[in-house]
Amino acid sequence: MFRDFFLLAARSIAHRKVRSWLTIIGVFIGITAVVALISIGLGLEKTINDQVSDVFGVDTFIISPEGTFGPGGAHADATFAIDLDHLRSIDGIQEAAAIRDETGFVQGSPDEAGDSIKGLLSVVGLSPELLTDFSSFIGDIELEPGGRNFTATDRNVAILGNAVATRLNATVGSTIEIEGQPFEIVGVVVPGEDDAAGRQSGGMMSYGRTTEDTIYVPYDVLLDLYGPADSVLVTLVRVAEGTDVDEAADRVETDLNERGADIMTITYTDISDMVGTMMSTISAFLAGIAGISLLVGAVGVMNTMFTSVLERTKEIGVMKAVGAKNSHVWLIFLIESGMMGLVGGAVGTILGLALSWGASALLSRVFGIDIAVVASAALIAITLAGSFALGAIAGLWPARRASKLLVVDALRYE
Amino acid sequence: MSLLELRDVTKEYQLGKTTVRALRGLDLDIAQGEIVAIMGPSGSGKSTLMHILGALDVPTSGLAKLEGTDLASLSEPQLVTIRGQRIGFVFQTFNLIQTLSAQMNVELPMIFQRLPRKQRAQLACALLERVGLGDRAHHKPNELSGGERQRVAVARALANDPEIILADEPTGNLDSESGSSILNLLKTLSRDDGKTIILVTHDPEAAEIADRIVRLKDGAVRKEVEHV
Repeated sequence: MFRDFFLLAARSIAHRKVRSWLTIIGVFIGITAVVALISIGLGLEKTINDQVSDVFGVDTFIISPEGTFGPGGAHADATFAIDLDHLRSIDGIQEAAAIRDETGFVQGSPDEAGDSIKGLLSVVGLSPELLTDFSSFIGDIELEPGGRNFTATDRNVAILGNAVATRLNATVGSTIEIEGQPFEIVGVVVPGEDDAAGRQSGGMMSYGRTTEDTIYVPYDVLLDLYGPADSVLVTLVRVAEGTDVDEAADRVETDLNERGADIMTITYTDISDMVGTMMSTISAFLAGIAGISLLVGAVGVMNTMFTSVLERTKEIGVMKAVGAKNSHVWLIFLIESGMMGLVGGAVGTILGLALSWGASALLSRVFGIDIAVVASAALIAITLAGSFALGAIAGLWPARRASKLLVVDALRYE
Repeated sequence: MSLLELRDVTKEYQLGKTTVRALRGLDLDIAQGEIVAIMGPSGSGKSTLMHILGALDVPTSGLAKLEGTDLASLSEPQLVTIRGQRIGFVFQTFNLIQTLSAQMNVELPMIFQRLPRKQRAQLACALLERVGLGDRAHHKPNELSGGERQRVAVARALANDPEIILADEPTGNLDSESGSSILNLLKTLSRDDGKTIILVTHDPEAAEIADRIVRLKDGAVRKEVEHV
């Protein structure tokens, strides 16, 4: 019987083609918006999480000045000192490395005339472990031929950004002075290929500053030059195998806070949670706006169904005269409005997914950002069921009116 | 016992602020297998009588019995069952569902009685064959002539093999030739199948096939004529 009612409803929809399509357009615009937003939103979240997990892996966390992450914003003046050796001694910690940023008085190599440039430049201290154990964080630093990275025993050596090397008239093998101490240049960074500014994309080391203008020295050397760290940018910690990274991070945070360091730890879970919260908030907001168009679509369905009931009053009378129960009439109209919702949902799902694929392709081509499009079976199933329900709910009132028509009045209706 | 028995039936309904007394103490008996023509001028209560005979409506007062059962005592679902199984309707304007084929129109009453699909299709085809439209089963109403549409309507009225066929001006919208053939069809149904046929009509030719003519005036029976 259900099958027959579906058939009756489908015939009726097909019979009033223009009106049905207009109604369906009203539904699928809303569904398209919702599907596109959800699928892009989920895709963005997945992309971010994937990238974060590529960088972090499962065993690494960051120590950062309190408040640099999450709501509230950073207090830029937060300072803290971290003793890497102490950090390595904490239970479950395998390796730790840090980046420290100072501004140093630098003197370049003398030129032919014996003059050399002097000035204040950014000097970044890197733990050698950063290059060996945490390469995913700093990206690949490609050095010009003849250069080498720091080793664990290096002291007064430096790697120069390409621009700063030129300015200081320094090449591999030459010597510059930082705070009056001589440093041998062991490498010069190849200019970044990704963009003209030389910004290393993907690496965290650059911290928004171009690698071109930076002088890198081993982390421990900065201790000699400037004393204990009070402006460590970030510290990376790897836990030993089999240690829960979140537990270890809590332990480190407690330990260091007790020692007076104003720091927080950030694990993959923290970032993933925050991304999730942020994305759901944005998604919910956008879906709410899209929801308004769904509401308008539903009102359109209701309007069409009321017109249909009015127009088919006589038909309803005939159906009742030949033995249709009120519930039959109700069901036929409900299925009809549900089907309009369903067709709208199907068209909307296809368009919505196409839209998000298009947007993703466009972002990838124009901005080089790859965003995955999430088109799960669950999303599609829920959308289709939801759009049928939307139509059916919009049809409840008209269907009820149809079912309550008195057969005598309905037959007399002209 | 009469198949249909009406005793002192009145029917009033509201039309705006005025109360219309459509039937005023009407008595009528209709026997199994009879062809009865109900005639009378407009406003004489023909349609209202038809509604009550067809279990579409119940009297305001008086008794309307189908095989001894008081229709007024039945619930709406019970009346729906009676309409669906025991009464077939033929209307002046055919009232076929435009979106459905002739066959589906005939199947419609069977759908509501939850007959299996296959059985339905067979029955509908047989009925269309019977009314001479075996080759028109898949045509939509607007692809059929008036006479053919009314034949489809007759086939639909026969769908659940009812005892009573109620025809409201069945020839009213037909040319005389088509009208005659519909009347012949109805006559055959009475003669061969023992159906009780109640015709509401203005058409003297339609009255010709009746065993009995009931003339209404002002909501009551003015005269009953046995037709020979």
